Amino acid sequence: MLEKSPLLTLLDILSLILIAGALILILFFTPLERVMGPVQKVFYFHVASAWAGMLSFILGAAAGAGYLITRRDTWDALSLSAIEVGLVFGLIAILSGMIWAQPIWNTCWVWEPRLTTTAVMELIYLAYFILRGGLGTPEIRARLSTVYAIISVITVPLTFFSIRLFRTIHPVVIAPGSDSAFNMTPRMLTPFFISLVTFTILLIDLVWHRTRLAILQIENQKEGR
Amino acid sequence: MLVFALLIVFLFHFSLQLAPDLQAGLAFAATLGLNRSISLEQESRALDGLLLTPVDRSALYFGKALSNFCFTFLVALVLMPVFSLFYQQNMLRLPLLLVLALGLGTYTGLGTLLACLSVQTRTRDVLLPILLYPLALPILIAAVEATRGVLSGLPLGEMHSWLLMLLAGNILFTAAGLLFFETILEE
Repeated sequence: MLEKSPLLTLLDILSLILIAGALILILFFTPLERVMGPVQKVFYFHVASAWAGMLSFILGAAAGAGYLITRRDTWDALSLSAIEVGLVFGLIAILSGMIWAQPIWNTCWVWEPRLTTTAVMELIYLAYFILRGGLGTPEIRARLSTVYAIISVITVPLTFFSIRLFRTIHPVVIAPGSDSAFNMTPRMLTPFFISLVTFTILLIDLVWHRTRLAILQIENQKEGR
Repeated sequence: MLVFALLIVFLFHFSLQLAPDLQAGLAFAATLGLNRSISLEQESRALDGLLLTPVDRSALYFGKALSNFCFTFLVALVLMPVFSLFYQQNMLRLPLLLVLALGLGTYTGLGTLLACLSVQTRTRDVLLPILLYPLALPILIAAVEATRGVLSGLPLGEMHSWLLMLLAGNILFTAAGLLFFETILEE
């Protein structure tokens, strides 16, 4: 049996407190955006979950590289977990974006670079699980799916920069020194960064849990044979 | 199947909206060729023989990718007069050939690598499009945009960002192929 690390328990509690804190902060203490109104508050969680999704896809590729170098199952488990969690965060980002876009753009979906690349990124990582499901032995499964995870990580920067490369209606948030950047007051900027930190910690916590589960699965399979 | 249907929606959105169906048609055709090129080797275990030859594995990848590229490009060459006839537009232009060569080079480079992946799975032929289309979508968009530019008579300099994107994809995916081919075919 795998022992649960006390640090993980600490992360559990920390992410619970942070989520509750961020929710209260965003719901009651951030100023209302003058034009968009309360729906603008989706933004804090939307950007944070998109950020967490991309981060975990990068983590998935990095762990995949770790597997190819060391050939230890733990790295593959981490890669799988990061991609699975990232898929969920990406979905949250898309759905929360739709909630915001419905009143603001008057449609929940437009075919423009950022939305399309994000959706394609989700499809690419969905295919990762189809690939995994079709591979026979655990060794081949781990080896081939990590290769795929590393190749597909190029879509992450493509998605991130899509609103900077092409002209689109998606707002650019992180663009220091440019006119098109979001102008946020400090009262909006602080909760924004807090929600970024919250989602990052939640991401680490979830990936860790999922990795533990994956390692247990691997051990279980080995004992079964 | 659901994922495949979703992918087709994405592909068609771009190809039908951005005029030339040429690129999408070639992409579909190339997938068939890619699948055949690798599964042919597996059927009679010819791949094992190839792997036994004392050459670098990357040479095998390069050879496979090159032959796939040549065949698809040949198909494109045959397709051009047909398209010219049906669309009442002269397609046999040098810039268009350049765009096609760049686009297909990138597409087949990535496709060869992914075909080697998918051929080792149980689902085989079905899996390749699911892996390949979303990854190739940026290439396809760039190729379609560049083709559209050429067909509307723009000079090549006007579309240098799309051509650059194709070139970058070409280098990136060929490098990925050379890097990972050995890992994929490990026994």
